[in-house]
Amino acid sequence: MLKRLNQRIRPWLIRYFALPSDVILELPRITIIGQLHVYIENHQGMEAYSDTELTLRTKQGFIRITGSDFVLKMMVSEEILLEGTIKEVSFIAG
Amino acid sequence: MKQKQASWFTGYVTVEIRGDAPEQFFQECSRQGIPVWDIKKTSSDICQGNVKLTDIKAIKQVIRNSNYKLTFAKRSGYPFIIRRFRRKKELLLALAMSVLLVLILSNIIWKVEIAGVPSDIEEKVNQQLEDYGIHPGAWTFTLDSPSDIQQQLIEDVPELLWAGIQQNGTTFYLEGVEKLLVEEEENLEPRNLVATKKGVIKYMYVSKGVPAVEVNDYVQPGDLLVSGNLNEEIESNEQEEEEDSQQTLVAAQGEITATTWYEVAVTVPFETDYETLTGNRETKYYLEFGSVRIPIWGFGDPEYELKAYETEKKPLKFFNWTLPISFVEETISEKVHTNMERTKDEAIAAGIQQAKNELALELGPEAEFISEKVLQETTESGKVKLNLYMTVEEDISTPQLISENQMSR
Repeated sequence: MLKRLNQRIRPWLIRYFALPSDVILELPRITIIGQLHVYIENHQGMEAYSDTELTLRTKQGFIRITGSDFVLKMMVSEEILLEGTIKEVSFIAG
Repeated sequence: MKQKQASWFTGYVTVEIRGDAPEQFFQECSRQGIPVWDIKKTSSDICQGNVKLTDIKAIKQVIRNSNYKLTFAKRSGYPFIIRRFRRKKELLLALAMSVLLVLILSNIIWKVEIAGVPSDIEEKVNQQLEDYGIHPGAWTFTLDSPSDIQQQLIEDVPELLWAGIQQNGTTFYLEGVEKLLVEEEENLEPRNLVATKKGVIKYMYVSKGVPAVEVNDYVQPGDLLVSGNLNEEIESNEQEEEEDSQQTLVAAQGEITATTWYEVAVTVPFETDYETLTGNRETKYYLEFGSVRIPIWGFGDPEYELKAYETEKKPLKFFNWTLPISFVEETISEKVHTNMERTKDEAIAAGIQQAKNELALELGPEAEFISEKVLQETTESGKVKLNLYMTVEEDISTPQLISENQMSR
């Protein structure tokens, strides 16, 4: 009951108070700089990583980044900076 | 990114993880709050990443709870470099010694260059410089300042009119100007000699011209002493041009010494205070870094009651740069404070001496004191006031151009 109310209140909060959606909805924020960097905040953990692919878990599913020469430049809890040649960023429903 | 820059100073290690899905190990690390960076997957079961040196313990804890294998691939950063250096003591020693060597060599004179003077004087100057301790191989900080050397050199080598000394790194450049004895001007303009002061003529030596006064004559300022007009004795002049003009003019030359008088008033206190150095002294040497002084030689203060300090500072050099380190020489001399009470006679004697000194300064070194007489003395609040009458012998003549003289008439 409370959870449902919560979910109905949140979009309303975003609309009327202009609050950032990633904070309110606990969505990942992804910043891409050209083909070079991808900066992902607010993820729920790393699922798989190789030098051509990175899969991250989120609340709603997975984010999959493909490309080549991947290096994780920085990794702290809930934040990842990926460097390499990025080809594709896709969302996979969980 | 911030943690990565600072990590160079604290040191970091590249770890290699082997096992099934090795990236999950780093995932675990970041969840535990251990920062990891530059993670690379080199093959399907090997993953490399950097962790801080201080996090090694925590990493090992994570490893123990899993079935990954950990190897240290590379150690980087400042602590490891230091450790590597420490193992190579000879290298470190050699490095320190080479810096020291450069430091020593930068503070040695390598070359003394003398320019602008003929070779015989150059030889003399070189000899003189050697006496001052300026020669290849001498320490620069034991030398006097260039301006002092300059002055000393001009005094000791009379042939030099001027000497410029410049220390450029390890080279001493000396530029000299030779004194050329200029012949006295041949064609002086016709002139008379006139008196500058009143006095009684004592001696006369006239080399050119006609004397207008005699010994024991009393003269006033402006009186003609030697005339440059030779109408009567033409044949004695060599430069003279025989023309129709009746006047033959020469530049009168001579020395007219006369007795002159001065009245001088001096005040002398009975009691005097003065400080003198006894000649006992000690020299200390320091190295100075900013405001910190480290003694090198001469420890402990001498037990003088009163001390006079004299310090000389010379900056050390490294190649051409002046280091913030100075070589300081401090001389401590013993001082004696004297309080003297004079009798009246002594005070008068001191007063006469003082008056003579003052007058000598005014008249120049050629004046000669003949006698002095105390005209008046009064004692007043611990002081003696004297009125002195001094008799002096001095040259009173001064040239006066004849044309100018005539015009003024």
